Amino acid sequence: MREASRDRLKAFLTLLPSIILIGVFVYGFIGETIWTSLTDWGGSGALSLTPEKNFIGLANYVELFTGVLGGGFRQDLVNAVYYSVMLLVGAVGLGMFIAILLDQKPKGEDVLRTIFLYPMSLSFIVSGTIWRWLLAPQGGLNVLPKYAGMEPLDFQWLSSTAAILEFNWQNLFQILLYVAAFLLILTGLWLLKKDSGMAVKRWLVPGIAVGAGAWLFGDLLPEALFMEETHGFNLATMGIIMATVWQYSGYTMALYLAGFNGISQDLRDAAMLDGASEVGYYRHVAIPMLKPITISAVIILSHISLKMFDLIFAMTGPDNAETGHPALNMYLTTFRANNFAQGAAIAIVLFLVAAMFIVPYLVSQYRQRGRR
Amino acid sequence: MANVELKQVFKRYGDVEVVHGVDLEIMDSEFIVLVGPSGCGKSTVLRMVAGLEVISGGEIVIDGRVVNQVSPKDRNVAMVFQNYALYPHMSVRENMGFSLKMSKMSRDDIAAKVQEAAGILELEPYLDRKPSELSGGQRQRVAMGRAIVRKPDVFLFDEPLSNLDAQLRTQMRMELRKMHMRMNTTTIYVTHDQIEAMTLADRIVILKDGYIQQVGTPVEVYEKPANVFVARFIGNPPMNIFDGVVATVDGLRCVQLGETMFPLSEGKGDGLADGRPVIVGLRPDAIKMGDKLEKLPEKWHCTCEVVLSEILGGHSLLEVVVDGKHTMIAEVEGRILAHPGEIVPIGFEFDRMVLFDPETTNALL
Repeated sequence: MREASRDRLKAFLTLLPSIILIGVFVYGFIGETIWTSLTDWGGSGALSLTPEKNFIGLANYVELFTGVLGGGFRQDLVNAVYYSVMLLVGAVGLGMFIAILLDQKPKGEDVLRTIFLYPMSLSFIVSGTIWRWLLAPQGGLNVLPKYAGMEPLDFQWLSSTAAILEFNWQNLFQILLYVAAFLLILTGLWLLKKDSGMAVKRWLVPGIAVGAGAWLFGDLLPEALFMEETHGFNLATMGIIMATVWQYSGYTMALYLAGFNGISQDLRDAAMLDGASEVGYYRHVAIPMLKPITISAVIILSHISLKMFDLIFAMTGPDNAETGHPALNMYLTTFRANNFAQGAAIAIVLFLVAAMFIVPYLVSQYRQRGRR
Repeated sequence: MANVELKQVFKRYGDVEVVHGVDLEIMDSEFIVLVGPSGCGKSTVLRMVAGLEVISGGEIVIDGRVVNQVSPKDRNVAMVFQNYALYPHMSVRENMGFSLKMSKMSRDDIAAKVQEAAGILELEPYLDRKPSELSGGQRQRVAMGRAIVRKPDVFLFDEPLSNLDAQLRTQMRMELRKMHMRMNTTTIYVTHDQIEAMTLADRIVILKDGYIQQVGTPVEVYEKPANVFVARFIGNPPMNIFDGVVATVDGLRCVQLGETMFPLSEGKGDGLADGRPVIVGLRPDAIKMGDKLEKLPEKWHCTCEVVLSEILGGHSLLEVVVDGKHTMIAEVEGRILAHPGEIVPIGFEFDRMVLFDPETTNALL
């Protein structure tokens, strides 16, 4: 008994320094940032030794989401969603595709693998600089068609001001409800095969109800903004998305390739004898088996997508409104405009978005461990 | 159901030839066991029938159709793998129904067929479990279930029982036999375990280094091995093998092992000249002791010195030395309690003796 408590004490003492350091420098500062985001620290006296800080509640957040001057942040937030989704879909999809090709054991597989993985070893600043050249209006990508005897492209990869899929921020609540309905129905359809009763009751019916409700009574919802403000998918972000996909698809390829190589040949043979075509093998056996890898890839890429600061900085500079990102916005608001409170609020919004990705992952990990 | 024919089938990996012109005809609903030591090419032959290995030469015919160029999925064969190769992310139900799903069968039909197979294999309580939640024996059953739902023309088994413990193996062996009696599907079964071969097979094919050594019923390969390799490989403990010379002593034809004489039964060795060297094979169970001796003619009796005796329940294994020189293993009925060094009477069923040519090691006569 005494022995055990002494062991515990030793363990606690060993862990104590890191608990204190992490407590202060991670969680303490997160707390400090949250506190700052609830004050009005900023403006002319912000840099004085004893700045004036008054508690103003959630006013900074309200300003970001509904204020007149928050338009830039809102577009950045929309951009961030597109960056994340496109990076995930692009890098996971392309990486998986390349992995499947390499899984066919072509000649020179080792060399190809290294070539595809190589971009990941570059820093975002380096690849950003390279891609900025490649995407210059009269260079790189745009002149490629000339070599095939065609007209060069004249698309302004990084400075286009066009946008598609525009929506009015005023209808934010309605749009969020549509998204929720879409996700519910999607989950329902996915579960339909497994347990149709539960899928309909738990997912499909609520999904349709939410969707129909949002459509019918959307006008009754409060408007998020007092004036019309459209945001959408800025075409100028495409170049940046291409660069990130280029940089990270090799990484997902490596993850998937390792996974594919880990699947025993017998399983592949069994699938072939069971009548699965090559496509069927990947669709029904290999890719579902690698679900843990897909989940890891999604988690890793999604938080990388929140840290694209340096790539965007290198490709379009900090002030390009079309390609902005909340992380850049946070930097500019805090350190250029000295608007510390507002910057902290942006940081916290980013923190919450990151938590949205990480927390479900941690929960599922804990559950799995509990099951064991 | 179908017959399977292998005509001069070769397999080469680069310059290395591992299967050298195998000829084999397998009848409809026959249970054929391919047996041999590791690296003899038995699994390769099986995988060639399945279509998982390309055939380097020759022809494989299933149900009258040359399948050399036919992909595995179109051969209508089902295979059970040594490590079961169950899809870990699918439930037992999905595992068993996968091939039917791939053949675009309706969901209701799949459910019915899976249910039927699960009934045969007593898997109903486990249908919604994942393979990782099953015991070895249950996984084995699921692997079999996956094969039988399709009603294939040919079953292929690649050492399916070798991952099971001894008791379960015996049990599954009997179930396999029953399943075959019930379904009557042509079966090719690969194993390195000669007991499985003996108990399961209609005919055994013994392979060594990519050559067929012998094809025959279990009794044939046991009693009339085609060569020394088969004699040693089939049977446990293996056949006792000695070098000898054919001779005629006092008008009696026999094989001389130094001083010892093994008389040749009537008609045996008639074509062999005196002085011809031979290899003599005698099954351990052709050696008798105790009260079983009485059934043998007096002239087939002698004495031996016991080196070691092991009682295995109903029967005993003894290592004995005859004439101070010839060590042999005897497998005798009943519990023979003999102490090392003891001299005991012993008898031989010389009519079961086999002779081999020392040069070719093939059986004589």
